[in-house]
Amino acid sequence: MLPARRTDPAHEVALQTALDRLTAGRQDRQDAPDGWVTAVRMLAARPGEYAPFPAGVDCRLVEALRTRGIEQLYTHQAAAITHALEGRHVVITTPTASGKTLCYNAPVLSTILRDPAARALYLFPTKALAQDQLAELHELTELLAHGAGGRQRGAGEEEAGIGVFTYDGDTPQDARKAIRNRAHVVLSNPDMLHAGVLPHHPRWAKLFENLRYVVIDELHAYRGVFGSHLANVLRRLRRICRHYGSSPTFICSSATIANPRELAEALVEQPFELVSENGAPRGEKIFLFVNPPVVNRQLGIRRSYLSETRRIAGEFLRRGLQLIVFAQSRLTTEILTTYLKDDFEGPPGTRERIRGYRGGYLPGRRREIERGLRKGSVAGVVSTNALELGIDIGALDVCVMAGYPGTIAATWQRAGRAGRRSGRSAALLVASSAPIDQFVVRHPSYFFDASPEHALINPDNLHILVDHVKCAAFELPFTAAEQYGRHDVQEILRVLAESGIVHQVSGQPGAPTASDAVGWEWQWTSESYPADAVSLRSVSSDNFVVVDTTRGSDVIGETSFTSGPASLHEKAIYMVEGTLYQVERLDFEGRKAYVREIDCDYYTDAITYTQVKVLEPFGTTGSRIHAFGEVHVSSRVVGFKKIKFYTNENVGSGELDLPEQQMHTTAYWLTIPAAVLASLPYASDDRRDGIVGLAFAMRQVAQLLLMCDRQDIGISIGGGDEGDGAAEPRVFIYDNYPGGIGFSEPLFAMQGDLLARTRDLIAGCECDHGCPTCVGPLGHTGPLAKDVALRILDQLATAASPALDVA
Amino acid sequence: MTLAERLRSVVRSGASLSPGSPPRTPARRGEGSPGEPEGLAPEACQNAADVLGGQWRQWQAHRYLVVDRKYLPGHRHGRVAVADSAPDASGFWPTLGILDPAASGGRVVFLDLETTGLSGGAGTYAFLVGCGWFDAGTFRVRQFLLTGYAAERGLLEAVEETVAGAGAIATYNGKTFDLPIIETRCLLHRMATPFEGLAHVDLLHPARRLWKSDEARLAAMDASVLGHVRENDVPGFEIPSRYFLYVRSGDPRPLEPVLEHNRLDLLSLAMLTARVARLLEQGPDAAGTAREALGLGRLYERRGMLAEARACFARAAGPAAAEGETAGEVLTRAEALRGYAVLCRRAREHEAAADAWHQVLELSGCPPHLAREAREALAVHCEHRLRDFGAARRLAVESLRFGTSAARTQAIRHRVARLDRKLNPNPIPFF
Repeated sequence: MLPARRTDPAHEVALQTALDRLTAGRQDRQDAPDGWVTAVRMLAARPGEYAPFPAGVDCRLVEALRTRGIEQLYTHQAAAITHALEGRHVVITTPTASGKTLCYNAPVLSTILRDPAARALYLFPTKALAQDQLAELHELTELLAHGAGGRQRGAGEEEAGIGVFTYDGDTPQDARKAIRNRAHVVLSNPDMLHAGVLPHHPRWAKLFENLRYVVIDELHAYRGVFGSHLANVLRRLRRICRHYGSSPTFICSSATIANPRELAEALVEQPFELVSENGAPRGEKIFLFVNPPVVNRQLGIRRSYLSETRRIAGEFLRRGLQLIVFAQSRLTTEILTTYLKDDFEGPPGTRERIRGYRGGYLPGRRREIERGLRKGSVAGVVSTNALELGIDIGALDVCVMAGYPGTIAATWQRAGRAGRRSGRSAALLVASSAPIDQFVVRHPSYFFDASPEHALINPDNLHILVDHVKCAAFELPFTAAEQYGRHDVQEILRVLAESGIVHQVSGQPGAPTASDAVGWEWQWTSESYPADAVSLRSVSSDNFVVVDTTRGSDVIGETSFTSGPASLHEKAIYMVEGTLYQVERLDFEGRKAYVREIDCDYYTDAITYTQVKVLEPFGTTGSRIHAFGEVHVSSRVVGFKKIKFYTNENVGSGELDLPEQQMHTTAYWLTIPAAVLASLPYASDDRRDGIVGLAFAMRQVAQLLLMCDRQDIGISIGGGDEGDGAAEPRVFIYDNYPGGIGFSEPLFAMQGDLLARTRDLIAGCECDHGCPTCVGPLGHTGPLAKDVALRILDQLATAASPALDVA
Repeated sequence: MTLAERLRSVVRSGASLSPGSPPRTPARRGEGSPGEPEGLAPEACQNAADVLGGQWRQWQAHRYLVVDRKYLPGHRHGRVAVADSAPDASGFWPTLGILDPAASGGRVVFLDLETTGLSGGAGTYAFLVGCGWFDAGTFRVRQFLLTGYAAERGLLEAVEETVAGAGAIATYNGKTFDLPIIETRCLLHRMATPFEGLAHVDLLHPARRLWKSDEARLAAMDASVLGHVRENDVPGFEIPSRYFLYVRSGDPRPLEPVLEHNRLDLLSLAMLTARVARLLEQGPDAAGTAREALGLGRLYERRGMLAEARACFARAAGPAAAEGETAGEVLTRAEALRGYAVLCRRAREHEAAADAWHQVLELSGCPPHLAREAREALAVHCEHRLRDFGAARRLAVESLRFGTSAARTQAIRHRVARLDRKLNPNPIPFF
């Protein structure tokens, strides 16, 4: 509850004038780029809703908060605190700057005040967020130690105070022991918990015996592979807690996603309470979508979205409005920072009014920028997603997003950086030429009216599960009756025993030949430290390492085994945060790619021949058009194209000869019935183009619906003459991870949405014969692809409508 | 595909990729049908006591093996006999207090573990805990072998009993390895550590100081210091897989060389400890080599026994340098002279210190970092004591040639500039 800032009329007028300038030209100025505002939405102001401190909150904490000017709580804070204090797991979804940290800090500190033995563990997806939270907690514990609350403390608690520490890869070795003993609140991240804490749980006995709360902030970050791993890390955490006799309450906070409770329950495997009604007051907000004008209609090429962002940001900065610009990469962040500094910076030596902000800046510099933003001395900041998460920079007037952040949830999160408790604010989205951006900006209702994405995880992916069963077996022996995950863990342990990793021994001898399972344990019988071989950010540890040989040889990145050949073949352009590298040599056996920095204006797109075979369908519709199940994917990279940045022109190609890769995974597939195909009045080549175009468009939409990254899913066309045994053509959308990551079933469930939105995407595109935004650029498909794809979709809608019931 | 088949393909793909996860010795499959628990057959357990020459000890429903051995006073370990190494009747060497001030009397118990891995963490076990002590001229060894994990707590309690009443424990690298492992195991069983509050002499660091710094393994020390060459010693990396083999098959034979290895380690440790204690007791004259005298001086110096340390450094620096010394001998001499000079300066005997620094510079093949330090020290001496600014400036400038860090170079430049002002006290004013 920060005090409301200036709401002076001059400020209101400035914002209005800037917005008028951007929207006014819609009809009367054909030449003006302002004509490309595709959506204007007004989000009404709302007063705050307040509630008193719940009775369970310790009075010393209430006192301390009062000295900070917090006299009462927002309703959502009070609800969340009550759940947590009464021991119910709770997930809170509220926008940026609504005081969510108090939702978990209040029950945690209150509990520790009453029972100094109590402990809490906070998990953040990044180290920077843990640092930010450390500062905030220190402020509160200082108040508790020296403020009004301190005088009432009992004699026993006098000496120590509340210890709050970060524990991560940066924590010095010699400080670790002290932290293990003294920390009431440990701020860490999932990777550290996985590899540095759980395997050493005996040293953390004090924490695990007394663990009352586990806080998981930024819950929405844990989806896909990372989320599937975290779910297993939490299974291990809860297993260890059971060993030490504790049963912590989980408090999770999430950005607005479609299924926060479902995600929390999937991660923790416990029932959760949901608190989603935001009680914080909100000023009026105007949301604008801007699409840069087309400069070449035939090729679907638009004006650079970066220039557009520069111009739009200028309209606000010129009028003295404080602003944040979100860019998609470190490179674009630096470019936009340079542009805006050129436009608005005073002479050298004067205070810097425009700042850049991204990962890689030193912590001191970041803190300085954050302070500058809060105090108002920084007028504008250009940031990567580093400022999207909870770091406190106060509330700004305007947020301009250069490019669609990728998900509805992230877009709202970023937009929330602008917004005062009273007075108006604005958020603008400037679309790039990327297909997903174009879809969103042309279908504003997809963003404004639909629910945000589902975050999906699959903790029982066998590859991930087996890795964590190993870690768990290292931590504590599995008993013969123990369960872990949805698969039969005893079966997994038996298979691990075949390779000697575990061994079944008698836990309760006396009857070592007894045949009943009771009393038998699975002992870890390997010298290895299994957590070291498991990275939470990928499915398998079998990764390609990228070695930069520009100056010496530095490892600059890693790529999973499955996507290695497509992104690291010789002559491929490899990008890290905007810097371009060319692959000079790929050592396939040694899993290393040697790259060198390069200055070029294109990127490469691998040409992969992929074949998908259905192993076992898990479900189909009555019409047999939609299905999902287990598949075998074999793929080979046979060549690559050079694609020019921004315009997506094809400017060259090359051939490659790389080994074939195979994996089992899960897929959703669409079957186009022979009757539908036969009814199309087109030649067979054109039909083929139509299916290729349809697949291209479906991929974009699937990516949107699944809230996933482009490389998370793969696409393949089978059937027909592709020789997978089926006569009818099929479009496969498969999980691009061995074992699958849980996309296929939800995609199957969203089949109607998938086809309807694909149709919207293609029909709504202004290009003549296909472009990278809809069915793919001309050259990728034939001239009739758009028409054929639309006809197929229409026919399917008719064919499918009579029976949509699951077989 | 059945779940088991899918699992096998997952496990295989992972196992071939993460080094170290499969056992190094291929596991022998048990006779029972797959999936059936392979416990130790009672006759195999009996066998372990026979094969390894030990006795079962019962703890609750579980048991573990205790193997006792003694090495009589006449037993020779390389060049040394057990009797020569034995301390007095109390089982303690008073001079160990120089290594750890908390060690002040009472029997010394030597400790060495064999573990299932080197990584630490909850899944690393100490499957063999070896303890050794002197008993009236005889060296006794008692080994506790964990034959089934369920008996671990009982075994740890027995270790606790064995060390109870000891004045100190002695290990080789125990501060970093053995004690943290035992501590973790005890924490897991919610027990107090058996070594809580006990003095602990870790021989690794004194041994490195006194003898070898490059090859510090105990077996190597054994050969070079005690003249005991081990035959058929089991290499350390094989030990975990030998134990796993035993756990899976019940056949104790692979463990016999492991137990022998552990006993030899304990014996070497005890002999080395005795040697260190004796050196500390007898002082520089007992040192066999310059290197030993230098190391001994450093041990004294660390404990603030500066007179003894200085005598050791003097002994290590020896008479005037001889012709044809090896680089190692020159380095030892230079370091001894340096140690001597530093102690003289601390005692405010500046002339003696300067003399030692001069000797450093006179050594042919003197390592550059010591030559630079000698010149810097002499520059200070010339400037502040002798007030010979010219000589001081010359030494400072020469030391610049060996400048390593920017900060050091900067400091020397400051010195040269100051000396220039002293040499020329009336410069032309700037303004």
